[in-house]
Amino acid sequence: MMDVIQKEMSRDRRAFIKNVLSGTIAGSLLLVIPAGAMDLGNIPEQITGMRDDTEPFITKRKFAFIVDITRCIGCGSCCVADKNEYQVPDGMYRTWVERYVIDDEDNVYVDSPNGGLDGYQEPRKDIPHPVRDTFFVPKLCNMCEHPSCVQVCPVGATYQTDDGFVLIDAKRCVACGYCIQACPYSVRFINPKTKTADKCTWCYHRVRKGLLPVCVNVCPVQARKFGDLNDKESEVYKILHQPHVVSILKPGMGNKPSLHYVGLRREVV
Amino acid sequence: MQQEYKSKSYSHVFKIILILIAVLGLGVAVRAMVMPKTFGEFGHYRGSAIEDEMNRPIRNGTNASCLVCHPYIRQMHLEGVHNTVSCEFCHGPMADHVKDGKVIADLPMKQGEEIKKLCLRCHNQIIRARPKESIKMISMPQHLEEKHVRIDHNCNQCHNVHAPLMWVNQAKAIVGAGGDSK
Ligand code: HEC
Ligand code: HEC
Ligand code: HEC
Ligand code: HEC
Repeated sequence: MMDVIQKEMSRDRRAFIKNVLSGTIAGSLLLVIPAGAMDLGNIPEQITGMRDDTEPFITKRKFAFIVDITRCIGCGSCCVADKNEYQVPDGMYRTWVERYVIDDEDNVYVDSPNGGLDGYQEPRKDIPHPVRDTFFVPKLCNMCEHPSCVQVCPVGATYQTDDGFVLIDAKRCVACGYCIQACPYSVRFINPKTKTADKCTWCYHRVRKGLLPVCVNVCPVQARKFGDLNDKESEVYKILHQPHVVSILKPGMGNKPSLHYVGLRREVV
Repeated sequence: MQQEYKSKSYSHVFKIILILIAVLGLGVAVRAMVMPKTFGEFGHYRGSAIEDEMNRPIRNGTNASCLVCHPYIRQMHLEGVHNTVSCEFCHGPMADHVKDGKVIADLPMKQGEEIKKLCLRCHNQIIRARPKESIKMISMPQHLEEKHVRIDHNCNQCHNVHAPLMWVNQAKAIVGAGGDSK
């Protein structure tokens, strides 16, 4: 059995080379391989037309983020990518994945070992009753339309751009921690390396260069979606305008998040 | 009689006003020195902070970015069932591997038991929270017992990590069991 497979593997390589030589693959490959080596600056655009926009704000687009809880498998690809992108210090999380377990008696158990960075290898064994419902909930910055963190910042270090991103100016931040207290979603933390407040930015630097946020890019099951609500053909527009169960976290806070959840249960906070 | 109490000289008032103006002027000067140039350009923040954030280095590429230098693996990956799985999730960020178009270091590859752990991170049945619609799952060691092999077999002995069903389908084709997807 193993020998057959090994032989098949080398056959496959030969077949590949034969196909390239005969032109079956070469044609398509040449189309997709740009001339010269690829670098991080010239990766094919994922958000079309983004690289033509050079104004300070992209107000013609209205970005939204959707997390589909009914698809998330809790693999932690997003957490790994996020840590790599920002070199986030250990123990701090710009995005994380929570595991919810709800038992027969309606008790809710939530855990998130190391923020989901190592994935979930073991089931929860400490639940006394039969499990009624269990699912993963990825969390990240809600990019509120009315951000309370911006309101409380005394030095103008955290701010909202005209196109709706809530960002942090690390050069001005004095790490007073008011914003951390003010955020209803607990997405902010003091980064021990920079000694300033830090949080998820929906990968503003990638988006402005035409790439998807890194967590959206790596999600293997499309549980995370990012797009432009002004584009009626976009997936996010379609989801938010369909009779799905779409909701936001803590609507009572009045922050109006631009992060939406599909399939959110009422137990999730 | 009243007039005797009212001083005719206003010099002390002028002094106070002068001091106030001086303090105000100093305040404005200090503020101009301390405030960054672009503060208030767009709102109550430093306008050039947007540019700073925009210029943050990109460290992760995309799956497409590995294609130029690894065409064989990328093509296989693209045609297989793992085409949505990120190369960089299994191997690490591109910035640790390539800089200015040149390879600066090798990316790590999981080996042995680590591969099993990696696969089970996504495919482990025992984690019940995973929706069946998203992913096909297996239980260990049942998956190997069903195949009648020793349970210390590693996943990549039967599944090509980059296109897990490729060998399975090729083997099926040889035995004549059919199989269409890769
Ligand atoms: C500029 C070309 C280039 C790009 C782009 C590139 N690689 Fe590589 N990669 C190489 C070369 C050349 C080697 C072989 C280095 C060696 O053998 O020492 C290599 C080696 C590797 C190895 C180790 C293989 C081994 O045998 O040790 C891995 C894993 C890898 N690359 C993954 C990736 C991934 C994932 C990406 C996309 C994010 C990528 N590479 C992008 C050129 C590139
Ligand atoms: C599911 C995880 C996974 C993904 C996704 C993945 N790899 Fe790998 N890759 C591995 C493992 C594990 C090995 C080493 C063991 C093996 O080859 O069986 C490996 C080996 C390699 C090697 C060296 C081995 C060889 O055959 O030359 C390269 C180069 C490589 N991968 C590049 C890539 C690129 C490029 C992508 C994306 C197109 C990618 N990998 C996606 C897990 C993965
Ligand atoms: C990041 C998550 C992830 C990792 C890690 C991963 N896979 Fe997958 N795998 C997927 C997804 C997503 C699919 C496609 C959806 C599906 O199951 O049909 C898939 C599909 C498969 C399939 C085909 C299922 C079918 O019949 O359609 C096999 C077999 C498989 N993977 C084996 C492996 C092996 C072996 C490894 C370890 C090298 C591995 N996977 C690692 C996410 C992952
Ligand atoms: C002895 C060879 C062998 C080994 C070792 C093996 N598999 Fe498989 N696996 C198969 C075959 C063959 C199939 C296809 C099953 C079928 O078509 O009935 C399969 C199917 C799968 C599927 C799809 C299941 C489904 O419901 O369609 C997944 C996921 C999977 N394997 C993951 C793994 C993981 C993870 C490992 C390592 C822990 C592993 N396999 C080790 C042979 C193997």
